[in-house]
Amino acid sequence: MIKLLPRVLCLGLLFVLSHQSIAQTTSLPAIFGKVIDASTGEPLKGADISVDFKKSGVTTDTSGNFKVHVPYGEWVIKVSYVGYNPYRTKIYIKANTELNVELNNVTKQLEEVIVSSAATKRDIQTPSLGVTVLSLKGIKKLPTMMGEVDVIRSLQSLPGVSSVGEGANGLNIRGSNVDQNLIFIDDTPIFNPTHMFGLFSVFASDAIRDLELYKGGVPSRFGGRTASVLDIKMIEPNTDKFKMQGGIGLVSNRVMAEIPIIKEKLSVLVAGRLSVNDFMFKWFAPDYLKNLRANFSDVATKVFYRPNTKNTISLSTYLSHDYYRVDSLFSIENVVAKQTSFNYGHSNVAVHWNHYFSPKLNMMVSGSLTDYSTKTFAPDTVNTIDLKSSILYRNLTASFDYQPRENHKMNFGITGTRYDIDPGNLNEGVVSRVATVKLPLEQSYELGLFADDEWTISPKFTVQAGLRYSQYYRMGAGTINEYVPGQVPSLNSIVKKTTYGDGEVMASYGGFEPRLTMKYSLAENTTMKFGYNRQQQFFQLLSNNTTPLPTSRWKTADTFIKPQQSDFLSLGLFKTYNENVYEASIETYYRDVRNTLDFVSGANLQLNPNIETQLISGKSKAYGMELMVQKKKGEVSGWVSYTYARAFNQMIGDYPEVQAINGGDWFATNYDKPHTFNMMLNIQPTTHHSFSFTFAYNTGRPFSSPSGSYEIGGKKFPVFAERNNDRVRDYHRLDFSWTINNPSMKKQRWEGSWVFTIYNLYGRQNPYSVFFKSTKNGLRAYELSVFASPFISLTYNFKFL
Amino acid sequence: MSLSPKNILFYLFLLGVVAWACVNPIKDFVQIDATSFTTIEADISDDPELSKVRLTSSSNRLQSQLALPISKAVVFVIDQNGNKTPFTEGIPLGTYYPPTGFKGAVGSTYKLNVKMLTGQTYESTAETMKAVPEIENSITRFETFDQYSKVDVRRAGFTVYLDFKDLPNEGDFYLWNWKHFEKIGFCATCTDGGKYDFKKLDCVQPKFPTDAILNYMCDGNCWDISTNNDLNVFSDVLTNGQRVVGRQVARIPFDNWTPYYFRLEQRSITKNAFAFYQSLISQVQSSGSLFDVPAETRFSLNIKSLTTPSERVLGIFNVFSVRKKIFIIDRRKDIPVGELPIVSVIPGDTYACPPGSVGCQDKAPCIESTTRTKITPEGWVF
Repeated sequence: MIKLLPRVLCLGLLFVLSHQSIAQTTSLPAIFGKVIDASTGEPLKGADISVDFKKSGVTTDTSGNFKVHVPYGEWVIKVSYVGYNPYRTKIYIKANTELNVELNNVTKQLEEVIVSSAATKRDIQTPSLGVTVLSLKGIKKLPTMMGEVDVIRSLQSLPGVSSVGEGANGLNIRGSNVDQNLIFIDDTPIFNPTHMFGLFSVFASDAIRDLELYKGGVPSRFGGRTASVLDIKMIEPNTDKFKMQGGIGLVSNRVMAEIPIIKEKLSVLVAGRLSVNDFMFKWFAPDYLKNLRANFSDVATKVFYRPNTKNTISLSTYLSHDYYRVDSLFSIENVVAKQTSFNYGHSNVAVHWNHYFSPKLNMMVSGSLTDYSTKTFAPDTVNTIDLKSSILYRNLTASFDYQPRENHKMNFGITGTRYDIDPGNLNEGVVSRVATVKLPLEQSYELGLFADDEWTISPKFTVQAGLRYSQYYRMGAGTINEYVPGQVPSLNSIVKKTTYGDGEVMASYGGFEPRLTMKYSLAENTTMKFGYNRQQQFFQLLSNNTTPLPTSRWKTADTFIKPQQSDFLSLGLFKTYNENVYEASIETYYRDVRNTLDFVSGANLQLNPNIETQLISGKSKAYGMELMVQKKKGEVSGWVSYTYARAFNQMIGDYPEVQAINGGDWFATNYDKPHTFNMMLNIQPTTHHSFSFTFAYNTGRPFSSPSGSYEIGGKKFPVFAERNNDRVRDYHRLDFSWTINNPSMKKQRWEGSWVFTIYNLYGRQNPYSVFFKSTKNGLRAYELSVFASPFISLTYNFKFL
Repeated sequence: MSLSPKNILFYLFLLGVVAWACVNPIKDFVQIDATSFTTIEADISDDPELSKVRLTSSSNRLQSQLALPISKAVVFVIDQNGNKTPFTEGIPLGTYYPPTGFKGAVGSTYKLNVKMLTGQTYESTAETMKAVPEIENSITRFETFDQYSKVDVRRAGFTVYLDFKDLPNEGDFYLWNWKHFEKIGFCATCTDGGKYDFKKLDCVQPKFPTDAILNYMCDGNCWDISTNNDLNVFSDVLTNGQRVVGRQVARIPFDNWTPYYFRLEQRSITKNAFAFYQSLISQVQSSGSLFDVPAETRFSLNIKSLTTPSERVLGIFNVFSVRKKIFIIDRRKDIPVGELPIVSVIPGDTYACPPGSVGCQDKAPCIESTTRTKITPEGWVF
């Protein structure tokens, strides 16, 4: 207190003095200078000068000059002006000191936003009216879970994007099932987007340039899924300068390097991530978890070659790998095993050749391959199991961007995909008491022709119209069962088996998919968007779990499984304020899907050669409204969003009397969460610090609540008479992160930063599910929570430029 | 678990990896729907003691014990030759028994028919009794589960693994049950200062409760019965005809050094019964993970209403053959040094009649129930 007193007195003195008259000569030293606009150099009149966080009352004059007298000592000076980012500095005053300040106009500042509804800049812009672009730079500002920058988790703070719960595998976008979203990384599909059964995204964040999310208007160049598209693009490595960055975190270590090989012609990008937790289990885990092993890694590489200004060639690869060993957590049913291991991962490769014919026309030819393989094994018993499954996806695409006139942007092309699925192969060539089961391989072709035109009819009105034709063939060799007509397919009702030879068509489907997006400017800053899509899906995930296991089975359409077909309508209103600093939007949508699948109670999906006996087909519908207000620029930025969204299924099947779920009525899906509220706040007082808060609230997800209980064999069991008739408690969570950039504050090639995060700050035990167990005192309800306490983590990141 | 620095480190750095998950009981769970259904649990077995049919109206509450018995129904089974076996109602109400000596035969096919007083008629599909292999061997291993504390009786115990040869044809489905009999000395315990009323056969509480506990000795031999809590089923779909080794069937507590009487029952059940039990397992035993399957009760699986075909009927017509084997487990064998049983001590005093008192009773009777018997268990050698 004694130490403080002189300064308080001094401050008092200062205000007295400064209020009298600035021009007055005093014996105190002065801080004087000029405040100008950083971009124009114009002087700013009326800028406020604050001393030690208190207004001095001093403002700049017409030529931007100011002068303020302060006692000797150390002072924090802040210069602020409406519409400009404030400037702060600490000065030690020994004599009169000059301080010239350049302020940045917020509206002219580059958007460092996370979300924007405009396409990224390209030489010729491909039509992409319905896109939401997420910059990775922005995503990195969001608080993370255990220090892992996580694309999938970050996406969930956007309206319309959710998941079943924390730790769930995959995304539900505008009421879609997880397998109805197409996830591309450099044009190769990802079938399982998470590591560790759903805890972390598979994408090595350092290698990502940006993410484009099409949740409304999907251009016709994308096909094969009935909901949205998440198009992830890898960085094109810098051809000029070597760059390296990376990080050390609790869960994983990362490194990424951009290496120019031939200046301006050839460069290579390598990014890798490796989890490091495994050894810690051995060291720190309690005995019962000592046997647990959990490891993951991913490696992304890209070779970029620009032989001349007309051509670029790139080769991208992406590998992900997961390994687990668990004590009898999950196993294959009807196999005796004490310990089970899991292995799974993607191997993706894509080659792109871009050729620029003229400023109006360019061509992109790409070949891509994805191999997703899983393995479940228990080698150390007499009941050895070794279960493998895989998906091989191979695609060739040629597409053209053509801009005949200024107001027409066209994109058209042809694409062909071959799928080879090994749905399950148990113990082939393995000595074991457990039988060898080999499901027949499945092969199919999906061909597509597509064209889009983005036509700017007038400065106010833009239409993007597209059409895709998709043709699908399920190819031999294979066998199709024929069942007794009028009876539910079952093993006992097979009357005939038809065998098809190699290369014979076993089933085929096809159809047109119209796409339409319109944008109309109602006023200068107000636009309206309308979208309509029809999409078809020939390839889907068979899983009756709350969230799919990484080993869940994928299946292409066949005689019994009809392709899914969806119609999607959306209407939105967008408005910007204050020269793009604020953006507000409201969007509504309706989605209708035919031929979605559910499963008979107690379905056996793994290793089942007659999968049609386990399926119930039906319909889905989803609708909702999304409101969002964003502040895109300035010291404080962020957004607030509210979503009302519903998603229902109706599963009647071909034999409603036996198959209908919930008596054939519509029922809420596992991810039907009507009310969602999200908030993101980023505060960046200086370039060295930034603070972020995210808050999420949503209605609890549905679960099946019993109608009573009954006894079997002297034991009590709940009676579940209706599907998803109740909801778990509401979900809410607050996260915080603090980033310290370049703590040394010196300009040097090596720049470090620290990120401190707290996930679930107030430690809410958010329920994931409610379930029932029989105890000695009867049946009891329990709640399962994931991440039920605050989780603190610290990550060190570095850049070498 | 004790929070040693090692453990704290573990929690700080790692638990997220295995998902920082927790499970909490919901204290005041409110049902959103309350409905009763007709429940038919019918067992036909080659063991004469196990064939019976129980008819109830299911409880519309999760907690309530009440399942109303359905009395005065006409119940019979018909085999493949048209032989009709009537079942008559006995004790408790709603339970119907076949004539004495009735036992099912392996290879025979049975069909259940139930007609209730209300006129509702139910019929099962035809189910064929399958043969069951003998239980050959069991392996008992001392194992500790270190997630429980040292004073928790669940930590240390014996795991019983089974060993048997599957029958050559595919399509065998198994279910295991076990029973343990523990000879007891006290047949009644009255807490809060209560005294045993030998007429009411129950404790009578005093007006002003005290903390006295009185134990009453049994008036003869008496055994407590404990059974498996979990359902345990298995299909030979992946192991047809093989020797099945190491199937865990039970967990026995290490609460004494004494030999442990363990009666294991191996049943061969039908495909429908397997599907039924499998769905029960996924509802209550395999639930509570991130990957649950939808909780759905299988109604009318093999018993359907003829009068109202859309009626949802609970239960199962379970036709099975059974083998039993008794194991006396030595709880002194292969115990690691330092492991001691957690013996539960019965608190309170033993009630005894004052010497010379006339007409005083101090020994309580052993009352027959599902958890207690005075009949010497089969193969009791102690």
